[in-house]
Order: sequence, then C-alpha cells, then structure tokens
Amino acid sequence: MGSILGVSKKQAQILCVGLDNSGKTTIINKLKPKETQTEDIVPTIGFTVEKFKSTAVNFTVFDMSGQGKYRNLWEHYYKDAEGIIFVLDSSDKLRMVVAKEELDLLLQHSEIKGRRIPVLFFANKMDMKDSLTSVKCSQMLELEKVKDKPWHICSSNALTQEGLHEGVQWLTGMCSHWAAAPSSSECRPAQYFKHFRPALF
Amino acid sequence: MMLRRDKKDEEEGASSNPFQGLEKSTVIQEARSFNETPIKPRKCCHTLTKIMYVLNQGEQFGRTEATGTFFAMTKLFQSSDVTLRRMVYLLIKEMADIADDVIIVTSSLTRDMTGKEDLYRAAAIRALCKITDSTMLQAIERFMKQAIVDKVPSVSSAALASSLHIMKQNPEVVRRWVNEVQEAASSDNIMVQYHALGLLHYVRKNDPMAVSKMVSKYTKGGLKSPYATCLLIRISAKLLEKEEYRDASPLVDFIESCLRHKSEMVIYEAAHAIVNMKDTSARELAPAVSVLQLFLSSPKPTLRFAATKTLNKVAMTHPAAVTACNLDLENLITDVNRSIATLAITTLLKTGSESSIDRLMKQIGTFMSDISDEFKVVVVDAVSSLCSKFPRKYTVMMNFLASMLRDDGGYEYKKAIVNSLVGIIEENPEAKEAGLSHLCEFIEDCEHTSLATRILHLLGQEGPRTLNPAKYIRFIYNRVILENAAIRAAAVSSLAKFGAHCEALLPSILVLLERSLLDSDDEVRDRATFYLSVLAENQKALNSAYILNGLSVSVVGLERALHHYTLEPSEQPFDMKTVPLDTQPFGEKKVKSDLGPTSRPAEKASAPTQEIYAEQLAAIPEFAHIGPLFKSSKPAELTESETEYIVRCIKHTFSKHVVFQFDCTNTLNDQQLEEVYVQMDSAEGFEVESVVTAPVLKYNQPGITYTLVQLPEDNTEVSSIFSNTLKYSVKDCDPNTGEADEDGYEDEYVLEDAELTFSDHVQRVMKPNFMASWEEIGDEHELEETFALSAKTLEEAINNIVSFLGMQPCERSDKVPEGKSSHSLYLAGVFRGGVDVLVKSRLALQDTVTMQITVRSTDPEISELITSAVG
Ligand SMILES: Nc1nc2c(ncn2[C@@H]2O[C@H](COP(=O)(O)OP(=O)(O)OP(=O)(O)O)[C@@H](O)[C@H]2O)c(=O)[nH]1
Ligand SMILES: [Mg+2]
Repeated sequence: MGSILGVSKKQAQILCVGLDNSGKTTIINKLKPKETQTEDIVPTIGFTVEKFKSTAVNFTVFDMSGQGKYRNLWEHYYKDAEGIIFVLDSSDKLRMVVAKEELDLLLQHSEIKGRRIPVLFFANKMDMKDSLTSVKCSQMLELEKVKDKPWHICSSNALTQEGLHEGVQWLTGMCSHWAAAPSSSECRPAQYFKHFRPALF
Repeated sequence: MMLRRDKKDEEEGASSNPFQGLEKSTVIQEARSFNETPIKPRKCCHTLTKIMYVLNQGEQFGRTEATGTFFAMTKLFQSSDVTLRRMVYLLIKEMADIADDVIIVTSSLTRDMTGKEDLYRAAAIRALCKITDSTMLQAIERFMKQAIVDKVPSVSSAALASSLHIMKQNPEVVRRWVNEVQEAASSDNIMVQYHALGLLHYVRKNDPMAVSKMVSKYTKGGLKSPYATCLLIRISAKLLEKEEYRDASPLVDFIESCLRHKSEMVIYEAAHAIVNMKDTSARELAPAVSVLQLFLSSPKPTLRFAATKTLNKVAMTHPAAVTACNLDLENLITDVNRSIATLAITTLLKTGSESSIDRLMKQIGTFMSDISDEFKVVVVDAVSSLCSKFPRKYTVMMNFLASMLRDDGGYEYKKAIVNSLVGIIEENPEAKEAGLSHLCEFIEDCEHTSLATRILHLLGQEGPRTLNPAKYIRFIYNRVILENAAIRAAAVSSLAKFGAHCEALLPSILVLLERSLLDSDDEVRDRATFYLSVLAENQKALNSAYILNGLSVSVVGLERALHHYTLEPSEQPFDMKTVPLDTQPFGEKKVKSDLGPTSRPAEKASAPTQEIYAEQLAAIPEFAHIGPLFKSSKPAELTESETEYIVRCIKHTFSKHVVFQFDCTNTLNDQQLEEVYVQMDSAEGFEVESVVTAPVLKYNQPGITYTLVQLPEDNTEVSSIFSNTLKYSVKDCDPNTGEADEDGYEDEYVLEDAELTFSDHVQRVMKPNFMASWEEIGDEHELEETFALSAKTLEEAINNIVSFLGMQPCERSDKVPEGKSSHSLYLAGVFRGGVDVLVKSRLALQDTVTMQITVRSTDPEISELITSAVG
C-alpha cells in the first residue's frame, strides 16, 4: 500500500544487547505481532533477527546472545546499527557492575563512539521483588556521564509488556526524528541532546 | 535472428563459463554488500554463488577473510527471501570449517528448523549439525530429538541423516536419541524409515548382539519402505558372512522371502545378496537366478542391466546355474543398450561351450566400435578368461585381442589387452611365440610409454629363450632409434638380456649397445655403458647377477640405505645385504580378471606394506640396535572374534632378532587399560630382550605393544612356540564420557600361542631366470635329500612346500601342466642375514609324492638347515 502512495515507513536496524538472562529475547518477542510470537524462549546462541513495527518505524532487531563467551561477537553488528536496546535485569544487583562494564566497552568501541545513535535501556523484570528502580539502575551505570548519545531508560516487565510501549515510542521518536535531523556539523551536541534527556533528570 | 543467436550461444557454450577467472579478492569485496540495507536478494544470491564457486575451485581463504565474509553473510538472515536463505544455508556448511565463531548462527538456525516455513526446516537442520561441535551439542539436543520425530518427512529425514554424521564424532550423544529414532523407524514415509533404520544400525554397529536383535525384530515385519528393506537385506547378508553354517538361519529365509516382494528394487537386492554370499550352493542360487532371468526381459533398461551384470558375475563361479538363462541372454545380444549387450555376450562366453565361441566372438566384433572403453575392457577380460578355460582356442582369441590392439582406444583399454596377452603367453607355452609377435607389432606404433616399457621387459625375459631369438632384435632396436628416453632405456636393457643369454647374438648386441653410448639421455647412456662392461667380461655368473636376474632389493629401501650411508661416512664399503628385499606379494597368484569383483581386494589393499612397518619400527629407540627389518609376516589373530580384547600378532624378523608386534583393541566401553604388554614364554634360546608397552588402551582405539626376542646363536634353531599372556592394569570408566577412575588394578588375559617357523626367516625373491642364478651360486654347498610326502597330488605337495619354506616359486614352476606325474619346482629366497638360497625339487607321483630336493646356498649351514627342516 505504502509504495503505491509513494510513501514508505522508515526502516531502522537496531541491536539488542545486555547480559544473559536479562530478558532480551522475551522483550523482542512481545514486541512482535501476535501471530509471529513464540511460546518457547531459550537462551540465545549467537543471534536471531526479528522484525516489528511501531507507529512510524519498521524495526529490524538483531537480538544478540548475552552469555559471557558470546559477548565479543556483538561488535560484528555495531557498524550498521542505527539504535541500541540495552536490557538490564533490574533484580540482578550483583551483576550490575558487569552490565556497566559491557556498556562502557560498547560505548567506547570505535564503531559506536563517534556516532550519535539512540540507546534505549530497559530496566527489566521490575516485577521481581527487590528489583532496582530505573533511577537506581541509571545511577549504577553512571548514565549521567553519557553525553554524546540520546538515551532513555524505562522500567519494564516483559511478561506483562509493562513499560515496553513507552520504550518503543521513545525509540520511534528518535529514529524518525533522527532521520530528519540536520547533519552533525550544524548543531552542538550538548544542546541538541538536552531536549531528549529523560524527564527524571 | 533468434535462431542465429542460439547457435552462437551454443558454440560459445563450452568456454563461456560466467564465473571463469573469478578472483577471490573481487568476490570477498562483493560480499561486503551483504551489510547494505535493504537487502537485494537476487544480487546477494549471485554473490553467494560466486563465493561457493571460488571455494570449490580450491581457493584457500585465510581465517580472517573467511570469518569476515561469514559474518557479512549472517546479515542476510534479515531477508525472508526463501531462495536467498537456502543459499545461505549452503554456504554456512561450506564455510563451517574455515571461518571462526560459526556458532553465531546457531539460534537463527534452530529457529528456522522449528519454524513454520517447511522449505527452511530440513536445510537448516543440515547446516546446524555442520556448525555444531561437541561442546555445543547439548544446546541443540532437544531440537534434534524433536526433529527426528517430526511429522514432516523431509525434516525427520534430514535430522536422521545429520545424526549419522554427528555420530562419527559424538556417538554417546546420539545414543541418547535412540527412542526417537526407533519411533521414526515406524514411520509411514519410505525415506524416513530408511534413514531411521540406517541410523539404528550405525548406532549398534560395534555391538553384533544388538545388530542381530534389531535385524530379527525387523525381519519379522514392520518395514514398509522398500529402501529400508533393501538396507535390511544388506545388513542381514553382512551378518550371514560371519556365520559358519547358514542352513537353518532365519536370515536366509528372510532374504529368500524378499525374492517374492512386490518391489522390484527389493527383489533385485535379495537376488544380489544371495549371489554374493560366499560358497553359495546351486540350490540357494536357483531362486535368485530365476528372478534375475525374469528381469532380463523387463521393459526397463535398468532392470535388464542390473540383472545381466549380476548374472555375469554368477557365471564366473557357477556357469551351470546361468545356462538356464542363455536363451534370454541371446535375445539381449541385440539390445539397443550396448552396455547390456556387452554384458550379455560376455556372460554367454562364460557359460557357453567351446563350440559357440567363434560365433559369439564374431557377434561382439560387429559392435566393438560402438561401445565405450569401459565395456571393451569387460570384453577383454571375458576373452582372456576364456583362454585359460579353453587353451586350445588360443589362436582365435589371440587374433581377436591383437585386432583390438590395432583399433583406437584409451590407455586402460590397451592396458587390459596387453595384460591379457601377457597372461596368455605366461600360461600357455604354445602361445608364446605368436603372442610375442603380436606385442612386437604393437610396440611399433604404441603411444603409451608404460605399455611399451612393459612389453620390452617381457621381450627381454622371454625372447632369448625362444627358438629364434634373433627375430626380436629388430623390433627392440627400432625402439632405441625411434622412441623417447624411457623407452630407449628399456630397449637397451632388453637387448642386454639377449646378449647375456644367447652367445651367438653377443657380438651384434655389443655393436648395437655401443651406439647407445652417445645417446642424449643420461639413463640410456648409463645403462648401455653398464651392460657393455658386464657383457665384455663374458662370465655366466656376472650375467646372471647383473643382467638376467637383476637386483632383488626394494628400490625405496635401497634409496634410503644409500642416503643413510652418505650421511654417516664410514670406512666400510656399502653392504647390499643391509638393504631390505623387495617383498613378493603373498601367494603370488595372478589376480584372474574374471574373479576380480568377487574376490575381496580390500583386505589386501589395506594391509600395510613392509615399508610402513619398517618406518614405524625404526622410530622406536628400543629397536635401534637390531639393524634393518628383514621380513614382516601376515597378521595372525591371537583372540577369538567378538571377545573382550582383540589382539593380532605380526612377526618382524631382523638379522638376529624377532620383534612381535601386537595390535590390541579394547572392545569394552567401561574399561580403560593401561601399561599393556604381552608376556611371552618359550623354549630356551629364545630370550625376551625387552618389551615396549602400550601406555593406554581406550575403548575401541587400537594400540600397539611390542616384544623383542633375541634369536639363538645357533642358526639351525629357527622354530619355536610362544605362549602369550596379555598383562595390563584396568581402570573402570564411564561409557558415556570415557572418563576413567583414579585407581586401577592389575589383570591379565590369556592369548593363543604364537609360532615362529622356518618361513619367518626367509624372504621370497623372484629370479626371472632361475637356471642362470643356479649356475651363479654354484655347487660348492650343494645338498641333496629324498623324502616321501603324504600329499596325494603334485599340486598339494607343491603348495605345502612353498608355504613351509616361504620361498618364491620361479619360472611359474608352481603350476603343474595337466596330466603330468612328475614335475620340477624351483624356489628362490634369502635367509635372514642376506644368504641366498635356491631350491630345486623334483616331485614324482605314484600313490604318494616322492620329493628329491637339491639345495644350493652361499652358506653351508643354511643348506643343511633347509634339508633338516624339511625332514
Ligand atoms: N519475572 C520476569 N521474568 C522475565 C522477565 N523478562 C524475562 N524473564 C525471564 O527471564 C528468563 C530469560 O529471558 P531471555 O529472554 O531468554 O533472556 P535473554 O536476555 O534473551 O538471554 P540470552 O539469550 O541468554 O542472552 C526467561 O525465563 C524469561 O521468562 C520479566 O520481566 N520478569
Ligand atoms: Mg536471548
């Protein structure tokens, strides 16, 4: 239909990373259309490609495996990523430092560093008791220090889909906006991103 | 217009490979476009094809290049284009071993194999199994089990076939899937059932009990698939091979019942199995032959072909059984399919009477030019086996062969003809002169160097002993003038033999050889120079040793020994006796071409040659002091089959020692043996000097232990019996992981005796001109004795003597002409330490055989040893 009218939806390639067992695959699965969802979710080995649509953007997501031995494979997919979803298990306080380490490595990577691509954090498993709030998570990850990329964090429960919509809406905004944004030389990063800082801060 | 273009395309067709000259670097460059979005499926497919092409051209991809390309390819999983995805699967398999981190596609593939798109599923399974190593197997195990019992046949089949491949590396994992496989074996789908049965058999292949249980279950029923039934027939036939008496076996009943199956494939398989059983009786053959006979008149060419081919084989062993089909075979002579016609005629040749030969030969003659070389070879084989059957008919056949030799044909075909002619010449003295003339004519215009040199060698060997040797010289000398260096060299050697054997020809031979002194080729000049100076001495012994009989050492061994000698300069001259002899094949029977397919050559081919043994033994420090290997025996089993441990013994003779090599296999999967060796006890004089243990014997992984025995000083003590005990320490282990316990305990296992006999000390040597060698050794240490043998026929007596002495029969003297009551046998050999031994034995048959044996040797002790060993 779209092509007949000469308009087509914006396409965006997204990379979904985070530690193992954080709920990446479960989240992506819930974002997919009902009929393509699977019941059976097992730890990912390597990656899978998934597709879902939001109001304005067609997303293609590379859902990566989070296990330690596979994390070094993420970087093969950095180059073409137009956005990142970083999933945290907010009930896993112990490994929050590991998550931070991986996040820092990601942000420092030569193929990510200079690019202003949006990063969406899900503080997942909010339903678990003793789970950390999104504020607490962002403090532990020292997200306030991330100044060169638009980012957003929201608490989520992948099982009930709570919070997922909010995150995707933000990412949609970023991607469609991103597409229309002026080229980097025309505006100064800090000001430009101020607008997108999460309301909480 | 269109037509013209088509024609042009066609002309270019052969050379216009669109991928010709494709460069690896270009293709790798092109693969970067996989990263672009949106993906263009057709373009990417094309690129993948190019990568596949380059890989299959044998281009080596570096690890980094391959990994880069592989990861770029993984991006293509974004596209849901079916063709593209299937192409990706193919390339994943292709690159699984050359790229790193290929497990990156594991989840993508497991999703495809469980997903809704049936076109993906089977191919995804195959790719998945290819990239999964043993560490990752656990992760996919659940999916594999599901896939094996999947409703979709292609999925189930793919999973079963892939499991078979996994089985090779990780048998214990696949064993855990047996329940699923068994379920698949009751599938209604013919392919699934076939694959499942194949896997079930493979899982059990090391457990004969389990195999026969499985077979007896399925032979009772339950197999709908003709493929599976065919497989079951094959497995049954294999089991029958091991059974001594198959008379009452239910397996035979099963196979016979399959002759009445409704599927032609199964009927054929059953007939084929029966025909191939060892020592089939006429009664067993009859029903098989009659179904094959029905197939002969089938409208389907494949069935006619299969049936004729199989009957052709039966005709070799049971010509009488096939005569019933002669009428049908006659009809097939005019079959439009020339392959069938050829097989039919050659079958008839085998079953027919002497009188029908001329007619059949004429009939083949009419279409020899229509058939391919492969089938021409079949005809040649049939003709040459006829020659041994009806020696009197040799002129017809020889003329037939000679005329084929004149026709066009490839190397294999010409080789087959030459082989047949040579065979006839060797077997039938009457045919010799005519045969040599045909071959002389052939080499006048022969484009195959190896055939020409072979014939020149034969002429040199046989020509001088004919009535009129002079007539061959012209043909041989023509080669010196006209041909390439290799042939010229062979011709020079051949001429020298005439000079050495026929005194009358010597002066002219010397003149001819002198002309080759100025040849442009080193080898030819060297040979001419060498022969000239030997012939100039005019001594019988020299002629025999250096021209007529030549070296009997192994060329590879000589090369190695000389190399060794030059590395360690010493005062002593090089000693030829330290060079290992050229081993004559055991039981040097000419492999009759007509028995070719039925005899099982696999065993012979896989037996390691003495060269390999020599290398293995030389690498063991304990054996550094015992000199070069002299002879290795055939392996002998020291255990019954199907026991806990399998031990084979090979005896390696050295000049003063014998090394007993024990190849051991542990067939218990819950045991690991360590420090394994064989304790040998024997008569006095044979001292065990040292043992080399096998450190570990894991389940089913063969290991070797050696025992070194010093031979008695007294050379006349050569035979002894050794009683053997396998000693080791046992550790129990987990059959699944192979992990062994910490602690072990000592244990032992009694083996059968090993015997050292006279023949272990003697190596066979071929003397093409025995009488020349006999003169060469001289009668200084000649001994003569007469014995009465218990043998009832001359053949039997000859076989016994040859195998007892372990020496080489020369001049085909092991063949007794029909109807003779006396015969001379010539044997040649070398005793360990390098002493030449020749034996002439005259045999005479009255009720039993009397043998007069004359021994000549360079060492009186050895002559005596032989006469006393026989007595
Ligand atoms: N209670 C709760 N459980 C969740 C939530 N999200 C995911 N899970 C569970 O967490 C487990 C892991 O989820 P996955 O989606 O496989 O995790 P992953 O991040 O994809 O893991 P890897 O593929 O190994 O990197 C599953 O058992 C999920 O059911 C959540 O919001 N709340
Ligand atoms: Mg996952």
